[in-house]
Amino acid sequence: MAISSTAATIHFWNSDYRAALSPPSSSSSKLSYLSSLQFPRQLRLLGVQNKGFLSPSQHRTLSPVEAKKQTFSSLDELLENSDKPVLVDFYATWCGPCQIMAPVLNEVSTSMKDKIQVVKIDTEKYPSIADKYRIEALPTFIIFKDGEPCDRFEGALSADLLTQRIESTLKVKQ
Amino acid sequence: MTTGTLQASISYGVGFAISSVAAPPRRLRHRHVTLAKAEPTDKSVEIMRKFSEQYARRSGTYFCVDKGVTSVVIKGLADHKDALGAPLCPCRHYDDKAAEATQGFWNCPCVPMRERKECHCMLFLTLDNDFAGKEQVTVMTNFKAL
Repeated sequence: MAISSTAATIHFWNSDYRAALSPPSSSSSKLSYLSSLQFPRQLRLLGVQNKGFLSPSQHRTLSPVEAKKQTFSSLDELLENSDKPVLVDFYATWCGPCQIMAPVLNEVSTSMKDKIQVVKIDTEKYPSIADKYRIEALPTFIIFKDGEPCDRFEGALSADLLTQRIESTLKVKQ
Repeated sequence: MTTGTLQASISYGVGFAISSVAAPPRRLRHRHVTLAKAEPTDKSVEIMRKFSEQYARRSGTYFCVDKGVTSVVIKGLADHKDALGAPLCPCRHYDDKAAEATQGFWNCPCVPMRERKECHCMLFLTLDNDFAGKEQVTVMTNFKAL
């Protein structure tokens, strides 16, 4: 499965897949972008793309980084380092509407790649982050601008509605 | 929620025993794909599937046009039933799942569903909902989007 998502999309790699965060030899621009963020290995990545996961054969070309303790500051670091607003999707594996959103987020992150960065957080893997933002219903979307949450909404929605919502939020903030 | 092309590097042994039954359940065919996240037991899935059908009939609600959503939620309910003893709503984040399961507000059918037929999991949908299909029966299916 080819990684078809754009450089604007951030993924959290599942440490079980031994995803690499050090610069791989044959890196796409997206992977280089990821590696520059120095994410702890244990932060889980989700491929926001056609099938949602990389095959292990792609992983074998990448070398793992040293294990670092998962720290909460990683999301903060992402938010601080991002030059674009960030849309964070808080989801859970067995939440039906969250799964509906996977292709929608693909589409929106591609069509709006210059305007926003899309991040997905598994609330079961990172409960502390979910607690910090008082996530209740899933999916919950928070749009961060300049590191601060500036819009928040729940529930699945179509690509059109999501695009509209992002655009109106970003327009207000501009 | 498995895809036919997913090749996981972990082999996960599902603990159910395949006893000498005439034909294995259809969904076992899809279980060659392993996920980092544990799958719920077949028994719990079947219990929650039957519950969902009965409750849809009883409440006059219908399943989603996309049966993959229905399957994912039923699996989520089964997963919580396995882990916590009660089918806690899978579409919520909780500070303390065990406490919530004991308290009961979010055990399926949750209070919002019982009082107002509100199911944000999109499992039980009233007819006026855009996503409601016409069925109150379902079979487990793989969700294709992910």
